[in-house]
Amino acid sequence: MTAIEVRGLTRRYSGGFEAVRGVSFDVERGEMFALLGTNGAGKTSTVEVVEGLSRPAAGTVSVLGHDPFRERALVRPRVGVMLQEGGFPPDLTVTEATKMWAGTLTSPRPVDEALSLVDLTHRASVRVKQLSGGERRRLDLALALLGRPEVLFLDEPTTGLDPESRRNTWELIRALLREGVTVLLTTHYLEEAQALADRLAIMHRGRIVAQGTVSEVVDAYPARISFVPPAGVPLPVVVTEEASGRVTVRTNDLQQTLHELLSWAHVNSVELSGLDARSASLEEAFLAIAEEAA
Amino acid sequence: MRAVAVGQAELKLFWRNRTALFNSLLLPALLVPALMAADGDGVPLIVGLTGFVLLMAVYYNLVTTFVARREELVLKRLRVGELTDPEILLGASLPSVAVALVQMVLFTVIVGVITGVAVPSRPWFLLVGVAGGVVVFVLLAAASSAFTRTVEMAQVTSLPVLVACVLGSGVMIPLSVMPDGVASVLRLLPLTPVLDLMRAGWADGPVLRPLIVLAVWIGLGTYAVRRWFRWDPRR
Repeated sequence: MTAIEVRGLTRRYSGGFEAVRGVSFDVERGEMFALLGTNGAGKTSTVEVVEGLSRPAAGTVSVLGHDPFRERALVRPRVGVMLQEGGFPPDLTVTEATKMWAGTLTSPRPVDEALSLVDLTHRASVRVKQLSGGERRRLDLALALLGRPEVLFLDEPTTGLDPESRRNTWELIRALLREGVTVLLTTHYLEEAQALADRLAIMHRGRIVAQGTVSEVVDAYPARISFVPPAGVPLPVVVTEEASGRVTVRTNDLQQTLHELLSWAHVNSVELSGLDARSASLEEAFLAIAEEAA
Repeated sequence: MRAVAVGQAELKLFWRNRTALFNSLLLPALLVPALMAADGDGVPLIVGLTGFVLLMAVYYNLVTTFVARREELVLKRLRVGELTDPEILLGASLPSVAVALVQMVLFTVIVGVITGVAVPSRPWFLLVGVAGGVVVFVLLAAASSAFTRTVEMAQVTSLPVLVACVLGSGVMIPLSVMPDGVASVLRLLPLTPVLDLMRAGWADGPVLRPLIVLAVWIGLGTYAVRRWFRWDPRR
C-alpha cells in the first residue's frame, strides 16, 4: 500500500523562483524513503508541500489517500512532523512545551513516555532556551512522535546531534519502522540514508536525478580498486587515477576486473600492496550525480 | 477545546514576560489620573479605561505575541499539528483577552463603587461593545503583526492604530468638542463604536451606527488576516 504519492510536484515561491520542478515519488507503507540533495536542491521545499504546509504550484500530493493541504483535518491526526527548525517558546520548560503539544492532539502518548523515547527525561524541567542544539532536535522529535503517527516526516533529524545521540536516534527510528511507521526523511548525512532508508531519491536543483534502493542508485556508478603498483611492470588494467604512489582503477564489473588483476599478480608473482576494492559508496554516487548535473 | 492548550502555555509565557506584564497590567492603571483630568465622572472613566485595556492588553500585547511566536517558528510548528489556523490564533490570543476582561471587570467595579455609577440600564449594548471590541483588536493585532519584522518594531508598527484611537476615539478628547465633520470621520475608527456602545449601556444614545461600524471593522480585520497574516518568519 502506498502511504505517500507525489506526482509532478512543482513549487514556486512568490518571487517566481521555482524550487521544485516536477518531482514524483511514492513511499510505501512501513518503509523509509530518504530525500537527499545538496543545499538548495529543494528537499525541504518538497517536504513542506507533502506535509500540507503549502499548496503545490502544479502536480498532486496524496498522504494516506488525502490531499494534505485541502484535507488537513483528515491527514494531521495520523502524521507527525519534525521541521528542519523546530519552534518552541524559549521560556517554556521541556515538559510545558510537550504538554502544550499533547493538548492539541487527538490521542497523545503520555508526556513522560515521549520524553523518555528521546532521552530527555533528565531535562524535563529545563527551559527550552537553555537546551543545546541537539537537545532541541530531540525535543522536536519527541513532539513529532507524541501523536503516535502512522507517517513521520523527518527534516534533517540528526543535525547538531553528537555521535551517541545520533546512534540512539537511529535506533529509535529503526524501532518505529519495525512497528510499521512510514518515514519520509531528508538528510545531509549520506551514511544516515544508507543505514536507514529502504529507498531514496537524490535531488538536484529542484529535480530528482536518481531514485531507487541504495544498491540500485549505487550500482550505476563504477566500483573502485586501488593499490600501490609494483615497480617496473606494466599493469593489465586501465588506471584512472594516480595519487601519492597509489593507483585507482574504476570498473563497472568489480568481480571480473578484480579477478583479472589478481590472476595477473599471481602469475607474475607481484605484490599489490595496500589492495582495496569496493563498490561505489552512496557518497561517491552522490558526488558524481551532483557533478554530472552541475 | 484544543486551543486552550496553547492558551495555557501562552498564559505561562505572559507571567514570565515583564514587558508584557507592565504594558497590560500597570499602564492602564497609571493612566487613571490623565483620564480623570479629561472627565472625572464614573461612566467616562470606565469607558476610557476599557478603551485603554483594549488597546494595550489586547492590541499591543498581541501584536508582540504574534510576532514573537512567528519569529520563534512556534506558529510554523503549530501549523504542522492538528489545530486549524483559527484555533492557533485563538489559542495565542486567549490569555491576553482573559487578562483584559478581568481588568475591565475590576476597573468597572472599583470605579463604579467609588464614584457611585448606576447599574447600566441596557447592559447588552455594553457587552456587545466589549465583545466586538475584543474581536476587532485581536484581528487588527494579527493584521499588524504581518507588517512587523521584529518584536521591537512592534512599538512603531502599532503606533498608527494606538495614536489614532487614543486621540480620535474620544478617550482623551470628547468627540463633542470636535467640529461635526471631523467627529463623523473619527466615529469610523475601530475603537469609537466600542466606546459609543458602552456609553449606550448607561444612557440613551445611537446604537445602529456604532454596530454597523464595528461589524465593518470585524469584516475588514478578518479579510486582512486571511490576506496578509504570516505564519513564517520574514527572511
